[in-house]
Amino acid sequence: MSAAIVNAYVGAFFEVALAHDAVSAVEDDIFRLARAFESNEALRSSLTDAGLPAERRQKIIEQLLAGKAHNVTVQLASLLVGTGQVALLPKIADALVKRASSEKQLEVAEVRTAIALTDAQQQRIADALTKATGKRVNLKVVVDPSVIGGVVATVGDEVIDDTVRTRLDQVKSRL
Amino acid sequence: MNLLSLILAAEDPTQSHHWLFPEIAEILYGGIASIAVFSLLYKVGWPMAKKSLEARTAKIQKEIDDSAAARREADADAANIRQALGDIASERARILAEADAQAAALLAEGRTRITAEVADIEARATAEIAASRARIGDELRAEIARLAASATTDAVRSALDDRTQQDLVDGFITKVGASR
Repeated sequence: MSAAIVNAYVGAFFEVALAHDAVSAVEDDIFRLARAFESNEALRSSLTDAGLPAERRQKIIEQLLAGKAHNVTVQLASLLVGTGQVALLPKIADALVKRASSEKQLEVAEVRTAIALTDAQQQRIADALTKATGKRVNLKVVVDPSVIGGVVATVGDEVIDDTVRTRLDQVKSRL
Repeated sequence: MNLLSLILAAEDPTQSHHWLFPEIAEILYGGIASIAVFSLLYKVGWPMAKKSLEARTAKIQKEIDDSAAARREADADAANIRQALGDIASERARILAEADAQAAALLAEGRTRITAEVADIEARATAEIAASRARIGDELRAEIARLAASATTDAVRSALDDRTQQDLVDGFITKVGASR
């Protein structure tokens, strides 16, 4: 049931973005919003609080994205909050990114780092991953302080982990 | 002799044909009567006397036999009593020996059981002590490892300045780019 709902939203979001010629922007905005939704407990609680009126929750998401995301993204996110399906946002975002990448013959490459990357660094990482995997990649960067330092990249089923967190875990295991 | 002369002299010798012998008829009658009396006695009295003697003899013999039988019976009873006394003594000795053997066996069994229980308790106590020692050691090592890991993480976090973070990202790019 959940998968069917996710697919329905993904299809609708993709068609709307395509109609506005904003697929790249929308899928990137939705991806970043989903990661923020996952990592921010206060945001997640506010948007999923059934005690708050839907209009209030929609206001929150619209204020959050105003000036930072494409208008289509704001409207789609507001729609998702208004229908009470915002808990599905991470799955919808992942599926939407995958579908958009597939349309462009790209493989989704999720990269997690402890610090924000410059555009030049992102491009170099995308090039390096393309070279390493032999696939053209659609790079999605997530700033995740839990990695402490370094980079972990996931391309399809392949994981390239060079993070300080993993090295510390190995040290902990040895201890 | 003087007494006989006096008796004979006291008789009147003129009144009898002979002072010593009776008359013939008197002898005949007397003889016949004596024979009749003796015959009658032999015919009637002798069987009764014989029978009485035989009955008395038989009675005496019977009493003798009864006495002998009673004596044999008494001897047998005495033998039985002596045997019973002997049996009682041997039975008492057997029961006492059996009781001693059972007491000795119970004592030995009790000692064996107590020894085994003591050994078991000692073994369990030793195992519990070893397990406790190992558990405490493991907990201590785990706590030390946790503290060491936490301290290491904190130290690494504080050592990761922006330059180092950038170096790590560049190192990743270089490594991945060179992997193929």
